[in-house]
Amino acid sequence: MYGNLIDALPAVLSLGNLAAVVIGVIAGICVGALPGLSATMAISVLIPFTFGMDPLVALGMMAGIYNGAMYGGSIPAVLLRIPGTPAAVATSFDGYPMAQQGRGGYALQVAVVSSAIGGIVSALVLMLLAPPLAKVTLLFGPTEIFWVAVFGMSAIVFLLGGDVLKGLISAAFGVFVSLVGADTITGAERYTFGHLELLDGINIVVLLVGLYALPPAIGLLEEVRDFDTQNTGRLNTTSIWKAMPGMLRYWKTWVRSSVIGVFVGILPGAGGSMAAFLSYNEARRASRNPEEWGKGEPEGVAASETSNNADTAAALIPALTLGIPGTAVAAVMLGGLLIHGLQPGPMLFRDNPGIVFGFMWQFLFAAVLLIFLGGALATNSFAQVLRLPRPLLGAIIIALVFIGVYSINGRLFDVYLMLGFGLIGYFMDKLKFPLPPVVLGLILGGFAEQNLRLALRIGGGDWSILAASPTAKILIAMILLVVLAPLFSRWLRARKTSRAAA
Amino acid sequence: MRLKTIAVAAAFLISGGLASTALADYPEKRIDMIVGFAAGGGTDVMARTIAPYLEKYLGNDVSVVVKNMPGASGQIGVTAVAEADPDGYTLGTYNLPGAMARTLDRHADYNADSFTYLANIVNDPNVIVTPKNSDIDSMDKLVKAAKARAGAVTVAMSSLGGDDHFFLQKLSDVTDADYTVVPFSGSAPARSALMGGHVTMGIINVSEVVAFRDELNVLGIASEKRSPMAEDIPTFKEQGFDLVNGALRGFVAPAGLPDDVESKLLAAFQKTYDDPDFQKAMQRSGNPTELALGEQFKELNAEQLELAKRIWETHPWK
Repeated sequence: MYGNLIDALPAVLSLGNLAAVVIGVIAGICVGALPGLSATMAISVLIPFTFGMDPLVALGMMAGIYNGAMYGGSIPAVLLRIPGTPAAVATSFDGYPMAQQGRGGYALQVAVVSSAIGGIVSALVLMLLAPPLAKVTLLFGPTEIFWVAVFGMSAIVFLLGGDVLKGLISAAFGVFVSLVGADTITGAERYTFGHLELLDGINIVVLLVGLYALPPAIGLLEEVRDFDTQNTGRLNTTSIWKAMPGMLRYWKTWVRSSVIGVFVGILPGAGGSMAAFLSYNEARRASRNPEEWGKGEPEGVAASETSNNADTAAALIPALTLGIPGTAVAAVMLGGLLIHGLQPGPMLFRDNPGIVFGFMWQFLFAAVLLIFLGGALATNSFAQVLRLPRPLLGAIIIALVFIGVYSINGRLFDVYLMLGFGLIGYFMDKLKFPLPPVVLGLILGGFAEQNLRLALRIGGGDWSILAASPTAKILIAMILLVVLAPLFSRWLRARKTSRAAA
Repeated sequence: MRLKTIAVAAAFLISGGLASTALADYPEKRIDMIVGFAAGGGTDVMARTIAPYLEKYLGNDVSVVVKNMPGASGQIGVTAVAEADPDGYTLGTYNLPGAMARTLDRHADYNADSFTYLANIVNDPNVIVTPKNSDIDSMDKLVKAAKARAGAVTVAMSSLGGDDHFFLQKLSDVTDADYTVVPFSGSAPARSALMGGHVTMGIINVSEVVAFRDELNVLGIASEKRSPMAEDIPTFKEQGFDLVNGALRGFVAPAGLPDDVESKLLAAFQKTYDDPDFQKAMQRSGNPTELALGEQFKELNAEQLELAKRIWETHPWK
């Protein structure tokens, strides 16, 4: 098998195929950086054009776009607090405060280096461990996936922010949005009001853009009299090569977040955003100064960006071996493979090793290229955007968002929906309701519900099925540990102080 | 001089234009092919595979452009075809039994009479699969397990109201046993749950099993004859179970197509189907082909509607 890996290399290094990856990465960074445009969308737009292309050229572009977009999403997340992609929400937690402190350039450099590291680890895992990890995926049936979703929900606890009640209301709103559409088990329609457009549920990008991009864009328009663009346009960057040695102290976060990203990637249905939330949460828990997080801690940016890129190639492990995509992007990529007659499954590796292993190499190259293309070129040029007059910037963002949302399914209905979410987001912002729980609620709510119901169907309605398998037991233990450990340590601390007082 | 050239050219163009409308009729402009699913899905790949062949056999340098209108499991696309002008410039993909089942379990703005049935191209029979390490590796053992306790056999499948669900209903009738349905919203997740041993058996389509033969036991195939994609899988009929069912994918146009347009399209589909290159391309994308042209397709549709109605009335799924 590893022989095939080496055999596939020469074809990948041909000029055309390499150029495809380079173009893909650049396109991906742009798409990711523009709010409203996502990697899923870019690749689905690309797919019809790849029909007549050489498979490796088409796949190389896709690999480039995927990796590029995962980093690109962090650019507006850091500079404007508008996550360019769903997976960049956690990046904005610390990235935006850093930008406000005039350290936006450094935040972007941390983001690009972390993205590249996550991407490289993920590509290597895909190359070397795909078949054994596919067996891990098979351990996760509906029961186990339900527990993973619950584990993800436990991350909401920290996303609640200062006001617990407001946080819970936000989370409940997210879960409510996840209920809209045809129920996945019986097909019963919930809150669709007879609209066919709502049957498939609400696309995460529509919600994300409405909540996250519109209110700040309106905010930019409100600052009509603010002509002082000199200060905000400065990123205070040093060369990325000089900044890199200083980042080595994040190595623990890089390792932890890569593992989390890869793990979430091989689970069917979970995605880059869940990986980013989880790894941000874990990094914060492991940190010695958790109270600094959310106020501009570079390690938070590193955690989120490492894992959302570590999710990319790993998501292709179940996609290529079992035909179950780990993320929405991987699902679209499967379509790209199918168009070239590449059917996912164990035979794929045997029948088309040149293409499959070539595709893996392309993932690796795309990740490495991120440092050069993202760090050296794109970051600086995108930062210039901040020099634009604020009202103009706001107007451009709104225009982009309209185009992006319209092009998801090619219909205006989604645009109206997005405007509705924008209105909700605007007031949530003014009334200080936290937004992240909404996103997590939408992602995990439906996911948990579907798998719980499937599990109970399999168990014939008997709830004990939820703790039947060893994998499920391990997951339950992990959840208990995560939820109870902080309470326990607080109790210990309280006892210590009361003893000291006595 | 220059003016004269332009005048001559214009006259030439006008006469040329008139001549071409007079001589060649359908098709004289672009044909839109509406696909009710996103780019890259099975139905989309079928449409994109067939488009160049239709262009070739319809002649007149026509271009057939695939338009994706995803949503509501294909219903948005099918509705758009039903409501389009019946001029032959809007065709669409058509999936059975889904397209007909949706007229029963949802509000739909079309019915069986809304279409001109052109050609059904793909017939993907159902198969019953069990995990490789399962004790249940034959139909007899499966029936025994299912009869031992009602609902003891859990069945992974793609969704309710689809071909796999209808197949299960037929199986339930034929074997006189009750099964527990576990709908996974997609065949691939259903197949993976099966491979992981989380369910007893699965119902998928033969095209979805060929790449996984080493990982799964295939108990039988629901077709009249054995499938060329997997010659070694015995049919259920051979094993004494009267079970024939599958997923069908074809092409329709709005109802009321002019006769000459319809006959031109039917001829183009027939020629496409007979083209060995087309067959090879379909095989490469894992699509088992079986042609039902015009009237034949219409009858097939009526049969599928009957089946869906029968199941909807006796065992409504929502």
